[in-house]
Amino acid sequence: MLALDIAALEMRFPGLDTPVLSIENLHLPAGGGLAITGASGSGKSTLVNVVTGLEPATRGSVCWGDTEITRLPTGRRDAFRAAHIGLVMQDFHLFPGLSAYENVVLPVRLARRLKPGERERALHLLEISGIARPGQPIETLSRGEMQRVAVARALLPKPGVIVADEPTASLDRRIGGEVADLIVRLARAEGATLLVVTHDPALVERIGRHIVLDGGRIIEDAGKAEAA
Amino acid sequence: MMGFILADLRRFKGGALAVVVLIALSVALSVAVTLQERAVRLGSARAAEKFDLVVGAAGSETQLALSAVFLQPSPLPLMSGAVLEKLARDPRVSFAAPVGFGDSADGRPVVGTTTALVTALSPTLAEGAIFARLGEAVIGADVPMRLGAQIKPMHGAADSGGHTHVELAYTVRGRMAPTGTAWDRAILVPIRAVWQLHGMGAEAEHGHDHGDEAPDGAAAEDHDHAVHVEPDAALDEHFDAETPGIPAVLVKPKTMGDAYRLRQEYRSETTLAVFPAEVLTRLYATLGDARSLLLAIAIATQAIVVAAILLVTIMHVGARRRQIGALRAFGAPRRAVFAIVWGELFLLLLAGFALGLAIGYGAAWAISAALASATAVHMPVEFTRADLSLAMWFAALAVLVSIVPALSALRLSPAAALRA
Ligand SMILES: Nc1ncnc2c1ncn2[C@@H]1O[C@H](COP(=O)(O)OP(=O)(O)O)[C@@H](O)[C@H]1O
Ligand SMILES: [Mg+2]
Repeated sequence: MLALDIAALEMRFPGLDTPVLSIENLHLPAGGGLAITGASGSGKSTLVNVVTGLEPATRGSVCWGDTEITRLPTGRRDAFRAAHIGLVMQDFHLFPGLSAYENVVLPVRLARRLKPGERERALHLLEISGIARPGQPIETLSRGEMQRVAVARALLPKPGVIVADEPTASLDRRIGGEVADLIVRLARAEGATLLVVTHDPALVERIGRHIVLDGGRIIEDAGKAEAA
Repeated sequence: MMGFILADLRRFKGGALAVVVLIALSVALSVAVTLQERAVRLGSARAAEKFDLVVGAAGSETQLALSAVFLQPSPLPLMSGAVLEKLARDPRVSFAAPVGFGDSADGRPVVGTTTALVTALSPTLAEGAIFARLGEAVIGADVPMRLGAQIKPMHGAADSGGHTHVELAYTVRGRMAPTGTAWDRAILVPIRAVWQLHGMGAEAEHGHDHGDEAPDGAAAEDHDHAVHVEPDAALDEHFDAETPGIPAVLVKPKTMGDAYRLRQEYRSETTLAVFPAEVLTRLYATLGDARSLLLAIAIATQAIVVAAILLVTIMHVGARRRQIGALRAFGAPRRAVFAIVWGELFLLLLAGFALGLAIGYGAAWAISAALASATAVHMPVEFTRADLSLAMWFAALAVLVSIVPALSALRLSPAAALRA
């Protein structure tokens, strides 16, 4: 598990006068949880991109533990993300033509050989995510099942952090609730720091700490005390 | 990695297949052109190498060479039989064999000659014996007849309105071993039998003069006379000044130097001496030009195909931005993304190349087989070392070409790709 420290972070895009994201200070302790809400276009995904190293910051710093991810070159950022951050996106980004199991191990397999035990871990993760047949072709799964596979994939390399960007937004209420539950449960079980962008009040409630973004700024930071 | 590439290719089956087929066809074209030209050149060079020097009446060098090597039916002018006598006596000549063309049987050329040529073509016969009487014949390896079969020669060829010689039927006595030349289709008979059938030479009573211009070693109008040929008469392979006119003499000089001197001497007002191999080489220079042209067209086709494929793949990478961005977002290193995009296209190019080689080889083989069955000249379809370097070039080009879309995939920002 890793603590998050953001300082004087600014994200600007060419052609835009005002920064899309501007965060003076944000600390999230290792193993803590953070729910991020805000209107569409308020900068939530931009925040996810910069803390996961998908995009370089314009200014400022983002640290995970001792690693200042904003100072790493692209390749090292990619490697850091692969090793320490489990990502779950609104669109599942699974790869058709492969089975559920193959999808879970794909990112790791593309980087290196599976370590001993990783195969079993993948199968175990699928099982506790409620996927009965790991060999099932991914395109034959239901949407809820697909997102469960994506959660299992995010957890395979034992990441210290789990980042989810609207993981339940494309699912119906009931299924979305189940997936949200799975994410929180697994993050707790693995002791991973959890960052979730969501509009689901129930999920926000369960995570505890909650920030609201507007125009790229944090306008509300609630539940800090309990989480800390 | 490989599993992902294959799964990905399976997903784009149609497109992948189209790329492979396009490459295969364009490669097959150049492979077939290269192999076929080589097969024709090698095949006929080998067919010609048995005939060091050919002497004939003054006329077309090409025609003389083609008639001797390929037994191409063409009316050759006759030269005086005295030339044969002189050549036969020449100490620089190991043998000089007359050849008399013009007759055929079942579409196969019946060639009058001497035992010396049969021995030269096939030092040991495949079966039977060399002709020993006027009414006997030795057949080429490809002639579908049995020993003892009767051959009724026909003057000229059946399709050009020939007529059958009723005076004589040859009996097959022997079969030559395969030579890989047009002579495998030929029926070899004693030259004197041919002369007599056509009413020429000392044995023909009329003794009228067949001018040098009479075609085919045949006296064009005279066969209706009842010419009698005695099939059991012994061979006489001794030629003197009385020897009738002949279209060509195949000469085996003793040394290379002798060959050049003889050719020099027999290039005169009335006679012509050629090295068939040299004449063919000259012909192939023309053939080579045709090959260069075809090859240029084939390569241009390849360039167009490669350009089209490049365009398609770059568009394809564009269409797959999300997938590629996701791969990187979820932890695939850039080298893996590069390898996947590069590997997919490289695999397709390689598969197309391999398929093209097979198709091209098959086509050349089929054409050669058709040519061989028509001419009996064995045309070897084979790859050479030079082809290896061509293949290397193709591989290098394939590596380079497939790098382009791979680089374009690397330039994608994963965040932007995911947003799309
Ligand atoms: N690459 C980009 N170039 C320009 N503007 C961008 C880019 N990415 C995001 N934006 C803008 O940044 C703002 C925040 O976007 P985003 O973080 O996706 O919002 P959210 O996820 O909260 O809906 C939006 O106004 C969006 O148009
Ligand atoms: Mg968003």
